[in-house]
This record gives sequence, structure tokens and C-alpha cells, in this order.
Amino acid sequence: MTAYLPPLVIDVRVRESGARGFRIWLPFVLLWPLIFIIVGFTLLVTALVDLALLASGARYHHYTLLVLGTIRLLAEIRGTHVNAVSDNSRVKVDIY
Amino acid sequence: MSEDRKRILGMLAEGKITADEADLLLDSLDSPADAGEPATEPSPSADWPTGPSASGTPKFMYVKVTGKDTVDVKVPLALLRAGLKLTSLIPPQAMDQISESMGEHGMSIDLNNLKPEDIEEVIASLREMEVNVQSADGDHVRVFCA
Repeated sequence: MTAYLPPLVIDVRVRESGARGFRIWLPFVLLWPLIFIIVGFTLLVTALVDLALLASGARYHHYTLLVLGTIRLLAEIRGTHVNAVSDNSRVKVDIY
Repeated sequence: MSEDRKRILGMLAEGKITADEADLLLDSLDSPADAGEPATEPSPSADWPTGPSASGTPKFMYVKVTGKDTVDVKVPLALLRAGLKLTSLIPPQAMDQISESMGEHGMSIDLNNLKPEDIEEVIASLREMEVNVQSADGDHVRVFCA
């Protein structure tokens, strides 16, 4: 089940020579309740659509799996780290 | 209060530095890893592996660019696995459009042929993959999994 949990925090740091850098710490975890409501509603709708498609004999009836796969994709982004350093700037993005 | 902090505030009081500069210096003290000019900072990814793992299942894909600029990217392979699995769930009509569009852009890969059992094989074979590109202007790009 933990594999389906979206990122907790996204940390973005930008620094430039001669200018004050900034850091954005996005507590994505605060959006989880909203995401769960939206995902729950979407899964309900797709499950009904899939059942209707299955009953009608359609070959493709995997919309629920498609939504779950998309959530899984979002969840697996955790652990991504990007660090770019140039002569006069530095950008660092960490997704936890 | 530390000596460094006192010295910065002293320089501010004497008018040697501006309030913004003092703020930046104090920030640097708070986060030692971020101190100094960006160009002279050691890479925070220094503890990352420097090459493909000799054994075991790789967990991350690393992209390292060195040269004039430095770029380090660490992507979980689980993301790649989830992405590949998702392609097998895309509706056929949408998949045909994707394949057609990819073909128009020079990537004639039919994603319909990608089966779930192939995905694990692709991930497993990534362990032995290493891409090394050396450009004429000195940039070096390495892609590997570890």
C-alpha cells in the first residue's frame, strides 16, 4: 500500500551568485486528503465504467487499473534528486 | 552566538556589508552545505555511486554530467517500471495515436509490443548498461544504474 502513497515533500533550492537564493519546501503531504478524495471518486467512476464496458463485451475495460497505475507512477517519483551547478547558479530538487 | 555570526553583524554595523549581504552570509552559516559560491561548492551527490553496481538489483538510474556545468540526476528505477507498466494499460486507440506520433518524430517503437514480462527483463538488463559520452568541448555524460 505504501507504494501508492504520493510524495511527502518536494524541496527546491535555487542559488545564484550575487543574488539571494530561495528555497521552496512544498509539504505535498498537506494535499494528501484532497488527493485521496479525488482519487476515491475517480476510482468509483472508472470502476462503474469498467463494469459497463465488461457487460457490453468491450475488449478494453482497464480504466481503473489505468488510474491506479498513474497514482503508482506519481508515488514512485519519491527518491528523485536533481542537482545542477553552473558557473553562477545552482538548482537542487529533492523529492521525498 | 558564534564568532562568525558576531563578525558578520559587526561588519553590518560598520557598514562594510549591506543588510542583504549579511542575511545571505547568515543563511550560509545556518546551512553549511549551501555556503559559499555555487561554482566552488562540492557536489552534494559526491556520495552517489560512481559506476554500475557489480551485483544485486539496481535501485536507481544515475545521470551525471561533468564539464563546464555539473548536473547530477538520480531517478528511482521503480518509476521507470511503473511507467512501462502504465503503457500496457493505455487504451488501444490512445496507444495507436502515441505510436503514430512517435513515428512522426523518428521513434518507430510500437509500445503495443511491450509486454509485462519484457519490462522486468528490461529493468534487469539495465544493471549492465552504462552510457559514456565525451563531447568535443569537454563535457562528459554518464548514464548508469546502481
